[in-house]
Amino acid sequence: MIETEDENTEKKTQAEQSDGPMIRVLGLHKKFEDFEALRGIDLDVLPQQVVVVVGPSGSGKSTMLRCINGLEQATRGQIFIEGIDITHHATDINEVRQKVGMVFQSFNLFPHLTALKNVTLAPIKVRGMDQDEASEKALKLLEKVGLSDKADAYPAHLSGGQQQRVAIARSLAMDPDVMLFDEVTSALDPELVKEVLDTMQDLAREGMTMVVVTHEMGFAKEVGSRLIFMDEGIVVEDGDPEQVFTNPQHPRTQEFFSKILSHI
Amino acid sequence: MGIAGLTFLPVIGAILAIVFAARAKKQILTSDLEGMGLAKAGRTLGIIGIVIPALALILFLLRDNVRAFIDEFFDLEIMKESWSFLLRGLVVTLELALVSEACILVLGLIVALIRISRIKVFRFIAAVYIDVIRGMPLLLQIIIIYFGLSYLGLNLSRFTAGVLALTICYAAYEAEIFRAGIESIHKGQMEAARSLGMTYLQSMRFVVLPQAVRRVIPPLSNEFIALLKDTALVSVIGLGEMMLRARELMGTKASVTPLVVAAFFYLMITIPLMRLVQVMEKRLSKGD
Repeated sequence: MIETEDENTEKKTQAEQSDGPMIRVLGLHKKFEDFEALRGIDLDVLPQQVVVVVGPSGSGKSTMLRCINGLEQATRGQIFIEGIDITHHATDINEVRQKVGMVFQSFNLFPHLTALKNVTLAPIKVRGMDQDEASEKALKLLEKVGLSDKADAYPAHLSGGQQQRVAIARSLAMDPDVMLFDEVTSALDPELVKEVLDTMQDLAREGMTMVVVTHEMGFAKEVGSRLIFMDEGIVVEDGDPEQVFTNPQHPRTQEFFSKILSHI
Repeated sequence: MGIAGLTFLPVIGAILAIVFAARAKKQILTSDLEGMGLAKAGRTLGIIGIVIPALALILFLLRDNVRAFIDEFFDLEIMKESWSFLLRGLVVTLELALVSEACILVLGLIVALIRISRIKVFRFIAAVYIDVIRGMPLLLQIIIIYFGLSYLGLNLSRFTAGVLALTICYAAYEAEIFRAGIESIHKGQMEAARSLGMTYLQSMRFVVLPQAVRRVIPPLSNEFIALLKDTALVSVIGLGEMMLRARELMGTKASVTPLVVAAFFYLMITIPLMRLVQVMEKRLSKGD
């Protein structure tokens, strides 16, 4: 009821910025009760970039991702997705979310639906796609994540890694332009991490724009085209992954890497 | 009292049996376990030997009252005369319960959704409704609705008034059950659905509610059993359901037997339902 459409302004801004960044975050602040999670984030994510976001827990990485697809409302600042300001009250957030896929730490598959139905639900209900078309597409996506034989399995009968790959297929079914990954391997048993990272790497190779919050430094180095280090609600360091790893500029980044890399 | 005095003989015998059995058990425990079963049987027999004569004694002492009780509550003649009349009342009772339940499920779910909506005023209104209704006896609500509406010029049939009162009352309880069910679904489910571009209502309908409803089926079924019994209260406004018919017969036959028949009919419906709920609960707890 509150979310009204204003297509004219949407189209105009989109046209103006069509060559601009996929995601543009300007002066983003987020306050929870008495805790300031984000204290002024500025970030441009260009098409086909794989931005890896690292930082200590509580640094605001997840909150930033959640703001980018509107799961949390910004306290202050603006967020543009392909030029559309999602913090503007006239923006239809549901429309924008179709362009932004999100994968969660806890998978959040729908337990009452099979893997296939998990993938077809949104295309059918949101896009109005017919059942057969949606199933065909879903099967292709499940094949892509290596799970075509699990189409009829319920989430409870899948391993964590399999569930997470179904979740990725589910997001891809809406043909998003950007994918957000929120610590997607943190809840997985160590031996299941690789299959999920491999799937993400394939996506990156195909040119998907991705923002990946993770603790997997190997992935950051190999797949990331850019690395962002966050701490206490701000971006502390932003650059080429190899460079940030080998030669971090900021003392807080140096301290963080020295702590997490000392056991490798 | 002569016969009553004789009943003490088995009692004494039984007490001896228990004492012997206990001693036998103790001996067997130290050496041979084969005799254990026999000793236990002896003890059981001993207990029966006490209980049965004691009951017989009580019944004998109260024999006139017992006879009067059986005549009053289990009069076979009156049972024969009243069962079909009451059975027709049971049909009304079931109709009332089923029609009401259908309305309750719809209203209860709507109230629950309003109760958790993001708009504060809506939440407040739903909370007031739930509290006010749950804070009053159903009997009072039935009377107020039936007579109150007729004063306002709305002459509802007794059946409709009954359905209305039961719906308004039970919807408040079932709204709370629905709400608890919805809130028990992890918020990640709603977030995942929303992140795919589904609206709040789509996410609710296709993702959250299907899971929540599965979880609340057992408590909702318990509410239905309570509702089925509470239809008896609608007899207060003169609807000819089973309770009213039983009370009528109680007057005309000057006997409590019709109430016993009605009780039997209620149990015929409610006990299988209760077992069914248990089976569902077991299956759900396994499924999760």
